[in-house]
Amino acid sequence: MTGSVPSTTVVDDIADDHEVDDTSIKRLGFGFWIAISWIGLISIAALLAPLLPIADPNEIANGAPRDGILGDNFMGTDALGRDVFARTIWGARISLGVGFLGILLGVVVGGALGIAAGYFKGLADQVISFLVFSLLSFPSLVLALLITASLNRSFLTVAMTLGIVGIAPISRLARATTIQFADREFVQAARVIGAKSRRIIIKELLPNVLVPMGALTLLGMGISIVAEGSLAFLGLSVEGEAISWGKSIVDGSQTRDLNQNSHVAFVPIFAMFLTVMALNFAGDRIREYTDVRETAF
Amino acid sequence: MSDLQLTVEDLYVRFPTSRGTVEAVNGVTFTLEKGQMLGIVGESGSGKSVTAKTLMNLLPRTAEVDGNITFEGEDVRAVAKERRKHFWGVKMTMVFQDPMTSLNPVKRCGEQITETLRYHLGDTNATAKNKAVDLLEQVGVPEPSKRVDQYPHELSGGLRQRVVIAMALACEPSLLIADEPTTAVDVTVQKRLLDLLDGLRRDRGMSMILITHDLGVARGRCDDVAVMYGGRLVERAPTETLFADSRHPYTEALLRTIPRIDQPIHTRLEPIAGRPPELIDPAEECAFALRCRYAQPDCLEAIPPVGGVKGQHEFACFHPANTARGRQALDANLAAGQTVTGLQIQAAAGMN
Amino acid sequence: MARFIARRVVQLALVLLAVTFVAFSALNFLGDPLVNIVGPLAAIDYCDEVEAGLREDSFTSINNSRGDCEIIGEVKAEFGLDKPLAQRYFTWLGNIITGDFGTSFQTQLPVSEIIAQKLPKSLMLMAMAQIIALAVAIPVGVYSAYRAGRAVDRATSVASFGLLSIPNFALGVIVLQFFTLRNQWLPASFDDTSFFTRVHSLFLPATVLGLGIAATYQRLLRTDLLTTLQEDFVHMARAKGMTDRHIMTRHVLRPSLFSLITVFGVSTGALIGGSLVIEGIFSIPGIGSEIVTAVIRDDFPVVLGSVVVIASGFVVINFFVDLFYTWLDPRVRAS
Repeated sequence: MTGSVPSTTVVDDIADDHEVDDTSIKRLGFGFWIAISWIGLISIAALLAPLLPIADPNEIANGAPRDGILGDNFMGTDALGRDVFARTIWGARISLGVGFLGILLGVVVGGALGIAAGYFKGLADQVISFLVFSLLSFPSLVLALLITASLNRSFLTVAMTLGIVGIAPISRLARATTIQFADREFVQAARVIGAKSRRIIIKELLPNVLVPMGALTLLGMGISIVAEGSLAFLGLSVEGEAISWGKSIVDGSQTRDLNQNSHVAFVPIFAMFLTVMALNFAGDRIREYTDVRETAF
Repeated sequence: MSDLQLTVEDLYVRFPTSRGTVEAVNGVTFTLEKGQMLGIVGESGSGKSVTAKTLMNLLPRTAEVDGNITFEGEDVRAVAKERRKHFWGVKMTMVFQDPMTSLNPVKRCGEQITETLRYHLGDTNATAKNKAVDLLEQVGVPEPSKRVDQYPHELSGGLRQRVVIAMALACEPSLLIADEPTTAVDVTVQKRLLDLLDGLRRDRGMSMILITHDLGVARGRCDDVAVMYGGRLVERAPTETLFADSRHPYTEALLRTIPRIDQPIHTRLEPIAGRPPELIDPAEECAFALRCRYAQPDCLEAIPPVGGVKGQHEFACFHPANTARGRQALDANLAAGQTVTGLQIQAAAGMN
Repeated sequence: MARFIARRVVQLALVLLAVTFVAFSALNFLGDPLVNIVGPLAAIDYCDEVEAGLREDSFTSINNSRGDCEIIGEVKAEFGLDKPLAQRYFTWLGNIITGDFGTSFQTQLPVSEIIAQKLPKSLMLMAMAQIIALAVAIPVGVYSAYRAGRAVDRATSVASFGLLSIPNFALGVIVLQFFTLRNQWLPASFDDTSFFTRVHSLFLPATVLGLGIAATYQRLLRTDLLTTLQEDFVHMARAKGMTDRHIMTRHVLRPSLFSLITVFGVSTGALIGGSLVIEGIFSIPGIGSEIVTAVIRDDFPVVLGSVVVIASGFVVINFFVDLFYTWLDPRVRAS
């Protein structure tokens, strides 16, 4: 190793003496908007899938089976001759859908539990914290498996499962943030003037807890989308003809397909990768922007 | 002058940042004789710590350094790579401000003291440990053989700083740089630590640079005091001369911020008006002019060069205090009620 | 210290109780175990109606002497399902503590035997993944912190961000396609002949699992290292004339490891989830594959036994991580 150990303290000492305009560092940045655009684009495509001029995703022999990319079908066909592009667009409906619904459930329930634990403290906190701790003691995919294993696997149950898995880490973050704010002067002040708990929670705490939650929602949605894929590999994703990215990837990973028509797996993999990366990137930027420390997940 | 130990000539240090280049040190020149103790005094951002870190080769890579530094006849900025390994830490070493953070929290005190011995001198663990106990005894740590096995968090702030000093002294350096060594400890401990450092220096014939923002700390211990402001050395004199007959208005202002025993008890201490100088793209003027009671139009036209008697009493001011020229300038400003930069002034107690 | 450990052990026991209870009741509540054994008839009020004389037990009239409800009753008694949940839980808990995990519905083999046979393979996979993750993350993390802001650091930041965004099954599929199908560089399935073949055939899946975790580790370590590098004791070490390599490895690394160790426990959970999936993709006959098969076949005792072993293992690992953490930081040790 040559050079020297980096140290910035000297510069910081000097910079500290000057009032510095930090907005240039704190702006969300170009990359953030690209990420948001991709998420928007894929969401719109998913919502409008039935209206889009694409093939019927479940039509067998829409093209010649195992057709490659840029053949008669834009992104080729799978072993049954189904259109890969159409299946990827339709897959987005379920993947984004369970991801979004799941994280929404996690944020609402987990957030409420965490705020309650952090605000009321005492017995409520102890009970909730023990529950959360017990849930966190399960590897999250094992927990998801435990829930889905014995249920019929509709869109809603899969979304619910992903939501339940998210409750524990989210409520831990909400609790930590609440505790951090509950002792601040503005909350104390509200208490002193005799405001009701409900009012304090809604008017004073919620807005502050929501900020880190926003970043967490984006990151968590990425995690949920991946979790759906993992469930698909365990044979526990949405049942029946429903198409998800996870199920499409599983379809394409059969040895013969993977060997000769890797695009069947790689196209949905790429879609999932881009989406998860966009969610992670946007979530990270928001977290840096609002300067909240990583405490959950 | 054969006993000249350290020469710093025309030292410039710049840090390029996203907001412009920080001109941290601007043409600092000074010398240090063997066994001498030099105080460098200035407020934060004056460049005193950057100067020390330059001597110790501790600057971040981004720093741009220019100038000559000679230590015991050797060009410090061009130490050969093989010698570098046993140069800093052996011949020249440094003690930092905060004993809470100067010690590695996960290593035992003894381990940290003996590290230099084992690393630079190749001592065995046993010899090194004995030396560590000796060193702790020398710096006045009670029960040294017990302390070597303790972790930093088990010691008080004062004791920790003593451990840091022991650590610095382990390889018997000929120059010790102490950067605000007592700022972070209790006032009662401050004096004892400073006396300890002074005593150690005399016993070992070691030279020392004491960096502080507190002129009072320098008094009675330092042979010479150098005052820095805005990255420049603005005055340097033997300590007693500086206290009795300061030339630079900034030094004078600093002196008025410390309580003095020879003044009535209720004499007001005067804060220095205004803000520290801009270090990014500073104007071609005296950096202190905006806060100076003596400021005249010429102060805004050029940077005053270092003048006075070289090696005796040097200062960088066009209208030095305690001189006819300075008094004239001050009287004119007092008459007008403000200086050329718009600083409101009035006659203060304790003024000549 | 002894009191600290004692408190932690009590906590560990409580959490283990909670975990086993959650697992047991989840599988009991969500899916009636009876249905899994005797079929859908058990789920409806059929037998209650028979008992109340509202209808006749269908099979009694057609078949022999034993009616459906009698069979259901026998099964209930055999598996203790006529008892309340709490009682069943404690009976079951007593059994698993003595090593009796029940019998597989499918193979009629003792579940403990199945677990003992499958678990070592999964453990080996996970251990290899952690080793690979640490072996990659620590040097890369140290070097990227050392070169913070430079090209090397930026490149690793982009790479680890990419790795974090790619699901492990996706990476697994890509790697499988490239390394074993297109180019037969590495074996596509598990080879149990010897220790060497096991390591060899697990290398690819372990790398897939390890890289994802490595990215998390690298990012955390880099951040912590950069914080530590600001500390005065680093300047002090440099003032003492230590080389950069010595400072990075002897002074900076250890105080920067705390977040990494905390996350080591958490990441083990991710690793367990990951190996469930990866074992399927790379045809490794470990506990993950076993669970997947058992779920498909509604083999309730195998699912429950495996989940309990995995979850308990996870809890115990986090317990030891906690202790290790305490040992590593003398400041925590003292308090």
